[in-house]
Amino acid sequence: MNHDAEHARKPAIAHLIWWFLFAQGGVIAAILLPVHILVQGILGPLGIVQVVDRHYDTWANVIGNPIVKLYLLVLIALPFFHFAHRLRYLLVDLGVPAARSLPAQVIFYGGAIVVTLVTIWVLLTTVPISFG
Amino acid sequence: MTPGWWLRQRHYFLYIVREFTALPLALWLLWLLFEIHRAAGGPRAFYASGSPAFIAFSVVCLGFALYHSYTFLSLAGVIINFKLAGKPVPSRLIVLSQFAAWAVASLVIAAALIGFAR
Repeated sequence: MNHDAEHARKPAIAHLIWWFLFAQGGVIAAILLPVHILVQGILGPLGIVQVVDRHYDTWANVIGNPIVKLYLLVLIALPFFHFAHRLRYLLVDLGVPAARSLPAQVIFYGGAIVVTLVTIWVLLTTVPISFG
Repeated sequence: MTPGWWLRQRHYFLYIVREFTALPLALWLLWLLFEIHRAAGGPRAFYASGSPAFIAFSVVCLGFALYHSYTFLSLAGVIINFKLAGKPVPSRLIVLSQFAAWAVASLVIAAALIGFAR
């Protein structure tokens, strides 16, 4: 049994998980986000089109659906793992070497985990799951 | 590295802009989470964001979102490499498929956001 190889595999797997979350978060933000911003942030508020989140009835009806809840969790939480990585390295690039440190990693990736937990809490407490 | 190094070349500047897109996009998603949470108070407490400031904020975020999509989906042609029937798939085709997926997803989501408003 090769103990060196066993030892070296652990950080590689951790690296893989963070890299996977970074990449997936980037894809989710790239493919799904612009249309949400355009429709919910601009066209809806301007009254150009009817949008589901403009009225309580239609909005509550949609966010009570378990599939929509799952979709919203992916849409909101995953990109934060991408953002955390980018913003941490942005600070490094702008001359803040402390952003490389372990406490900075805990703050940035911990922040993404906190956003994920808060999103789960909001989705579970806002309009309980219904199959209507 | 000297402070402001990224202002010296257009290429460096665009790189920093690309990395910076994360911040406005994060803020917009937090707004979306807030819009969901506002439904928790029931129909009387709920109101939809519609102030000129919010719309302006969304316009700015949309600009950054489109830049993120363009740069990120273009990168896929560099990152993804695979063979189909023994031949490497050209990176242009991979990038094209990414942009096609973006277009289809956008149409489906827009249809759902507008369709379920009735």
